[in-house]
Amino acid sequence: MKIKETIKEKLGKKIISWEEKSSRRIYFSVDKSDVYETVRLLFKDLGLRFSTASGMQTPAGFEILYHFSFDQAGELYSLRVEINDKERPEIDAITPLFPAAEWVEREIWEMLGINFKGHPNLKRLLLADDWPDDKYPLRRSS
Amino acid sequence: MSSKINALTKSIWVFHVSAGSCNNCDIEILDLFTPRHDVERFGIQLVGSVRHADALLITGAMNKKAVPRMKKIYEQAPKPCVVVAVGQCALSRHMFRYSYNVDEPLDKILPVDLYIPGCPPKPEAMIDGIVKLVNKLKGKK
Repeated sequence: MKIKETIKEKLGKKIISWEEKSSRRIYFSVDKSDVYETVRLLFKDLGLRFSTASGMQTPAGFEILYHFSFDQAGELYSLRVEINDKERPEIDAITPLFPAAEWVEREIWEMLGINFKGHPNLKRLLLADDWPDDKYPLRRSS
Repeated sequence: MSSKINALTKSIWVFHVSAGSCNNCDIEILDLFTPRHDVERFGIQLVGSVRHADALLITGAMNKKAVPRMKKIYEQAPKPCVVVAVGQCALSRHMFRYSYNVDEPLDKILPVDLYIPGCPPKPEAMIDGIVKLVNKLKGKK
């Protein structure tokens, strides 16, 4: 209850869209330049738990969902960020805020080729060592 | 039948390798050693090192990172060594056939002696397969 209002109040016009699939399942989106500030608000100020992030390719480019959980109320907040660049997608890394995001950002980087600016350790996580650098397995071939 | 092959048919010590499996086949393999099926009464035993093994039990779809490691494991096994492919992934790559991370099925990489199909195979199917394999090694029909 309080979390919802605080997010809306603190972010104000930065919120592009707000959708509640149910009272405890909330999706909202911000611009990709605001992602660092938004994640800091959710994680540091409001104390939400970072559950995971997921990236996918869309017709316009890419989108990343950052899932945050508020365990006391069982609420799940998904922050949606769109990256409208098909060739060289870039976004600010959130790993400098908390190390739990390091591996998932490395995975999104090697699978989809999204560059995380400011990531301290952006290197291969899961793919084989001889995997070619310019191929991203989860990108649609165009 | 050489004495080495004969020794293989007595009490088979098995080393279990997972080469990118989803863990279901592995759970069914562990079922073999529970009191319900209890293959230890035939002398079949899981061992901790491949250097003690008579048979390799391989599950999973052979992903790119697992293949070189599996070849290394096979080189370390004392020969003659029986290779058993457990589950549809190890047989044919199953749903990972067109995956970016899986190049070729197990029998293109190692000489496979026994195929046990199923997703996952039942413990009964594995016992049946092992009995058939032992009979074949003994030269019986």
